Amino acid sequence: MTKEAVIEVIKKNIAANSDDIDAAGIDPQKSMKDYGANSLDMIEVVSTSMRELKIKVPRSELTDLNNIDQLADKFLEYVNKGNG
Amino acid sequence: MADKALSFSLADFFFNDSPDVLTPPSDFQSWFEHPKIRSAMGLFGQQLLAAPRAGTEVLSSLDGKRHKVINMTSYNYLGLSTHPEVIQAAKEALDLYGLGASGAPLLSGTFDLHVEFARRLAQFKEKEDCLLFSSGLGGNVGAIQGLLRKGDIFVLDEKCHKSLIDGGTLSGAKMLFFSHNDPASLEQMLEKCKGKRVLVAFEGVYSMDGDLARLPEIMKVCAHYKAATYIDEAHSTLMFGRNGRGVAEHFGLEHEIGMSFGTLSKSFGGVGGFVCSNARIIAYLKGYSSPWNFSCAPSPPVVAGMMKALEVATRDSTLRDALWKNVAYLKKGLLDLKLDLGRSESQVIPIIIGSSGEKLIQFAYEIQRRGLFLQPVDFPAVPADARRFRISVSSQFTQEQMDTALTIIEDVIAKGLRA
Repeated sequence: MTKEAVIEVIKKNIAANSDDIDAAGIDPQKSMKDYGANSLDMIEVVSTSMRELKIKVPRSELTDLNNIDQLADKFLEYVNKGNG
Repeated sequence: MADKALSFSLADFFFNDSPDVLTPPSDFQSWFEHPKIRSAMGLFGQQLLAAPRAGTEVLSSLDGKRHKVINMTSYNYLGLSTHPEVIQAAKEALDLYGLGASGAPLLSGTFDLHVEFARRLAQFKEKEDCLLFSSGLGGNVGAIQGLLRKGDIFVLDEKCHKSLIDGGTLSGAKMLFFSHNDPASLEQMLEKCKGKRVLVAFEGVYSMDGDLARLPEIMKVCAHYKAATYIDEAHSTLMFGRNGRGVAEHFGLEHEIGMSFGTLSKSFGGVGGFVCSNARIIAYLKGYSSPWNFSCAPSPPVVAGMMKALEVATRDSTLRDALWKNVAYLKKGLLDLKLDLGRSESQVIPIIIGSSGEKLIQFAYEIQRRGLFLQPVDFPAVPADARRFRISVSSQFTQEQMDTALTIIEDVIAKGLRA
């Protein structure tokens, strides 16, 4: 799986979790907070994305990430490890 | 999973993919049964075998035996749960009214005691009326769920208690979180809410960090946007302000606050919650606040005890003075040990140890072995890089208890962090 594909999964879930955001308009260099997501929205987006990618990343490893791009890198690391 | 069990936490098992709702997630069970997780979990839910005084006894999960401990975890900030006058008042009410209210407040659960206590709480908080809840969590959930509707906006400090978040979720209102204690972030949120009904919630003392709301700045922003305000004074009522009315009194802003919430399980030493506000909205809430009108009214002897607790705590400043003296003494001792106490400005004093969950649990067991009951607070309750212990200071602590605790904290935590 490519990083672009991972980013697409995250973008789709951000859009699905918000009434007024279009996936195409999401810039991976920004954080979910920039798109108005609160902490509950972020848990939802991260959980649905991980479910779709069939990975399980500990939440404690996600707390220092600054943007969607970094989240995709972390997800990709686990996708490549085949870690469910 | 097995080799990195300690990297995972309860935050990782919230969503359950198991096809059977009554079966936990498949990997939860193996995580939960991992020896290191079992050992860590053993710290939580240990049984107290005596009243939550500064000196108490626990059934320790270290060895399954009774241990005498110095208790720095209970919320008995002013020692009122065991105050002789409070106990006497509760005993007398028990004889007169029995154990339970046996009814919801609108039908048969309202006793003269409930009406009188609510009246005194409203008078104490200098508001028109008060609504009394059977639990603190229920008070926040019930007030928010009763006030807000779909289409409204609930703006909260990101460190607000779960009960406020749950109330918001139940109400159907859109929730926006502003950065902790940051008036500029609050302003950004309120800018997005123009034309909507908005309620802004914050706490007097934040429970995990012990810092105070930056109330003057926050209230200024709320006033500019004409947003209604809600303060949670769970950890500040009876302790802050010249008359013990809370952090809003401390800053001289209590009359500007729209609705004021307090719990009865902390400084009051009982159990329950209450909100004070204008009489019209309290009357309205009685119709729509489910934890009030669909729950049995608070137990009469407990209400009588708490009414006495209010009297004892406010007739003079003896208990408050003793508390702040102990806070100053312990803080100085902890700072002398070069420990990180975050931004604590209250009787809630965190000792932040950093990112190692393993160290946190190891220290927790060791301090308990030495006779100090001081519970750890782990991720996700606090950030993963700021795991901590949290001292709840009590006016009951003696000099000797504090000195013993400081020695244990020095030996185990301060030296352990340097090792």
